[in-house]
Amino acid sequence: MIRFKCNGKAVQLEAEPEARVIDVLRDGLGLTGTKEGCGRGECGACTILLDGKPVNSCLLLAGKIADREITTIEGIASEDGALHPIQEAFLDKGAVQCGFCTPGMVLSTKALLDENETPELEEIEEALSGNLCRCTGYGKIVEAVREAGQRLMHESDQQGDA
Amino acid sequence: MNVIGKRIRKVDGFELVTGRAKFAGDYKFPGMVYGAVKRAGVPAGRITSIDVAAARNTPGVIDVLTAKDIPGPNLIGVLPPYDQPLLAENEIRYAGESVVLIIAETAEIARSAASSVSVSIEPYDPILSVEDALAPDARKIHESGNITLSKKLIKGEVKSAFEKADVIVEGVYETSFQDHAYLEPETVCAVPGRRITLYASCQSPFHIRGHVAANLNMPASSVQVVQAVTGGSFGGKDDVAAEIGSLACIAAQRLNRPVMIAHERKESIIGSNLRHAARIDCKTGALNDGTIIAREITVMLDGGAYASESPFVTMKTLIHAAGPYNIENVEVESTAVFTNKTYCGAFRGFGVPQVTFASESQIDELADKLGMDRLEIRRINGLKAGDANATGQVYQQSVGLQETIEVIAAQPALPDRIDVARYLHGTGYACVAQGISNGAEGIDVTGASVQMSQDGSVLVGIGLTELGQGSRTVWAQIVAEVLGVDIENISVRLVDTDSVHDSGPTVASRSTTVGGMAVQKAANEVKKSLVSMAALMMQTDEENIELRDGYAILKMDDAARIPISSVATAAYWTGFPLMNLAFSKAPEANFDDDTHQGDIYIAYNYGTHRMDVQVDTTTGEVKVLNHFAAHDVGRVINPLGLEGQVEGASLIGFGMAHMERIKYADGIIQNANFADYALPSIKDRIPTKSIAVEDHNPTGPFGAKGAGEPPVAAAAAVFANAISDAVGFRFTRLPITREDILDAIQQRGNHG
Repeated sequence: MIRFKCNGKAVQLEAEPEARVIDVLRDGLGLTGTKEGCGRGECGACTILLDGKPVNSCLLLAGKIADREITTIEGIASEDGALHPIQEAFLDKGAVQCGFCTPGMVLSTKALLDENETPELEEIEEALSGNLCRCTGYGKIVEAVREAGQRLMHESDQQGDA
Repeated sequence: MNVIGKRIRKVDGFELVTGRAKFAGDYKFPGMVYGAVKRAGVPAGRITSIDVAAARNTPGVIDVLTAKDIPGPNLIGVLPPYDQPLLAENEIRYAGESVVLIIAETAEIARSAASSVSVSIEPYDPILSVEDALAPDARKIHESGNITLSKKLIKGEVKSAFEKADVIVEGVYETSFQDHAYLEPETVCAVPGRRITLYASCQSPFHIRGHVAANLNMPASSVQVVQAVTGGSFGGKDDVAAEIGSLACIAAQRLNRPVMIAHERKESIIGSNLRHAARIDCKTGALNDGTIIAREITVMLDGGAYASESPFVTMKTLIHAAGPYNIENVEVESTAVFTNKTYCGAFRGFGVPQVTFASESQIDELADKLGMDRLEIRRINGLKAGDANATGQVYQQSVGLQETIEVIAAQPALPDRIDVARYLHGTGYACVAQGISNGAEGIDVTGASVQMSQDGSVLVGIGLTELGQGSRTVWAQIVAEVLGVDIENISVRLVDTDSVHDSGPTVASRSTTVGGMAVQKAANEVKKSLVSMAALMMQTDEENIELRDGYAILKMDDAARIPISSVATAAYWTGFPLMNLAFSKAPEANFDDDTHQGDIYIAYNYGTHRMDVQVDTTTGEVKVLNHFAAHDVGRVINPLGLEGQVEGASLIGFGMAHMERIKYADGIIQNANFADYALPSIKDRIPTKSIAVEDHNPTGPFGAKGAGEPPVAAAAAVFANAISDAVGFRFTRLPITREDILDAIQQRGNHG
């Protein structure tokens, strides 16, 4: 039995400690938003956040997530269905084409912007260097990350004012 | 225009950013089991025996299938006679060939059981090069021989023209195999029943339905193919989807259980088609004033083990090899050849990137020899409306090449181009034309339906697939424009062979153009009903009604308006049809089969690129400083989508030109993973700036032309030209990797 927190909720389920976390999420919890593109940690499609840090869930074993907190793409939008500013920015800036890399891209972006809403270009490149995309050419993804950072900053300013 | 030309975000984007979109691997059915194949592992030979005992005895293994278990002909392909087995029976023609299918309770068990299968193969000497395949005494890979297709294009008389030329340049250019590398590996899921349903990551569901049915030995009407949300395709998910789709359906019917087959990344590279490697011999003759009077080109394509799309790629290279130029005398011979390597087929650009690299390299060489500006020589020879292209086809409209050249010429120059010892700078130009529609590859028909509900919402159905390129958004925009409804109220169906019309394959940059025309036509018919109804309701003539902003509006009095939902409801109860199925048929290609002179495509997309690079002579590292990509797209439907297409296609072209190379050793691919196959990452991206030129195309919706493919060719060619400009000598083989550049610079340094 493994207990962990997933998208804000306490979870416990039967899983072998050496099971891959991507399988625990997809098969055990039905969270199929996490994608498998290579199974070797080379493409980033399976990126999730483990205690806020991006990790490849295809390389992560279930035993390592006990009592820790996981965020998947399903946990990004609000409960009421409103998209997160990162998701909105990805759509507005055309950073999504086929969408298979998108969950991982969004999560890597979230980890980056949670630390710093105005990252330098090099920081964006570094943060997303493990997430491959074959469709977009990446330019619009960079734009989306910047736009999302701006929107998040604006949001926190507004909250600060209130 | 209210919607056409606007930056509209993807209509199917919500599901993609929230993880709700169902890709094929996300389907789950009770009792579902998993398939995995044993592959040959050697490039050529004859199967002498197959031992599946260990696999059968593996706990969790449910079924083991070999060629004899295929109810139908055990063949797939693009053109009859099909030549590619689902499971090899006797001959092994490439190392990735599937031989045995294992079905097990889990994918892991299936894979491990597959690896326990022992296939005894009496090896042949593999044929691993075009030269070996064409040797007079070469073993025949297929009964028909080793030539898949060989065709000629003859315009004018090159021989005598070369005699008149003041300057002649000749060269040989080569390109490597390239993998599609879509992020989602090929996946299918078959659900058995009296009628079987296949959920597939795929590009052309109707094509797959035919193959699945044939191999099941059932009529096509008993097979339903549903395109799952597809994680990229770029031409690649056609043959392979037919292969694993057929296997999954056959196993599902045998076992009466749902079957999923999902490729691993390695299988996606070794076991599905690649971009053809090419060798292009090119000769160009010109007068001293820069006029090109003759081109003679021989294209040899290494097509690997099976025909796949090789015949069509051959034709495409034939037609495009001479480039977007007005040349009186052209002779091209294109040949695709079988070898014992992974089969090659469709990949975004479809042969045009290979020949454009050769052609545009040589245009630069010619300019240099003539002492002429490299953009000027393209201006002098570039096609204009009224000119005859290489097939002799004359377009009176929508030949925007010259405008793309001028737009590129007007871009700011590099601020300071200072070559210091370590850094060299260069600027390259390249032009491209790419035919839109099936053209010489077959009749081009699309069916599309538009259906309005009483609430004013609209459902669009078309048999062309969304693969990430944004086609659904384009079609929704067209409908929104015609019917005056908010794009939020428009949905585009999944492609389900039970509910949309066959629209032919999703290829040849035809979705916006040919698909868009059918959608526009169907929407216009629905519009007629709405306008008739609104005219009745307002007691006026039909020509006084316009549909806009969700209302039927009286043109002379903007305040007199009825919500479209009310008009639709009234039309429904009056019996006016609110649904229409329309067909768009492109004019059929009409050409001479021996010379390929005639009318081939309904339009061409024309483009000119410029790239500025900085080369670090100590490391070979290249920094792309600028990349301007101008394309004549007729009319921009969605600037956001167009930029995405141009930027994404350009990086695939850049990958082909600088980074990506499938490495073979003895017929075995050595770099079948993303650690060893260098796919561009965010750090490798190039600063592509898409510039749209709009030269109205009468054969497309609102004047539009497709744009998905052409930037690949131009981006690959322009990189080679920019590098050559920087280092002062030419590379004639793609990719030109960092190591290649460093080696060449060092060698020249040593010899210089």
